[in-house]
Amino acid sequence: MNALAEKYAPQNINSIFLYTHEAHPAENYPHLSSMEQKFRHAHALREVYGVTRPILVDALDGACHRAYGSLPNMSWIFDRRGKIMYRATWTDVHSVEKTIADLLEVNKRRRNRELLTPFEVEKLDFREADREGFYKGLERNGPRAVKEFDEAFS
Amino acid sequence: MEKEDLITRYNYDEFVPEKFQPWMRWNEAPAAGTVGPDFPLWELDGTETSFGAVWAKALYTIVEFGSFT
Repeated sequence: MNALAEKYAPQNINSIFLYTHEAHPAENYPHLSSMEQKFRHAHALREVYGVTRPILVDALDGACHRAYGSLPNMSWIFDRRGKIMYRATWTDVHSVEKTIADLLEVNKRRRNRELLTPFEVEKLDFREADREGFYKGLERNGPRAVKEFDEAFS
Repeated sequence: MEKEDLITRYNYDEFVPEKFQPWMRWNEAPAAGTVGPDFPLWELDGTETSFGAVWAKALYTIVEFGSFT
């Protein structure tokens, strides 16, 4: 997602990471109980995972995250007035890039004076299931994160 | 729900279904084509901004929600 952000920034596409709550709290990164702790975890995300996009932090009660459905790793795309152009239950760089390319194409056609009107589409998209990478992340959180995930989905 | 209770429940302390499943509310999320609700947000240095201020900066804004864990 960082590379995607850099690729499309020259075309006036902004990309941010919005820090929510700990989905898999454990020994190394426990559940949040203060904004100070939330900022510390957000800094750790930047340092450990190398997130280069601007990170913005939600309120401690997750007001923004909750209003958008509270899923742990969603992606959304907004236009400059806040209209929702895309929403996905999971973040996948290929899915986001396809959408950005489509939106830029629409803008190009409108500049060419084509009369276009929006309609809604629902479809399933597909992402690579990186089980190994996911478990590495859980292990980084602490042993309890692995145990609880296995128990929740066993 | 009282504010403190909400904060505690939202920031659940263990990944067990009775604690995380109540927050899986995709069906209640705003639809495509509507204007999303605006909220205050904070930059890493503590400066307050808002979702709306972020959207207004660019033609389109990609937002990834998540956390360290």
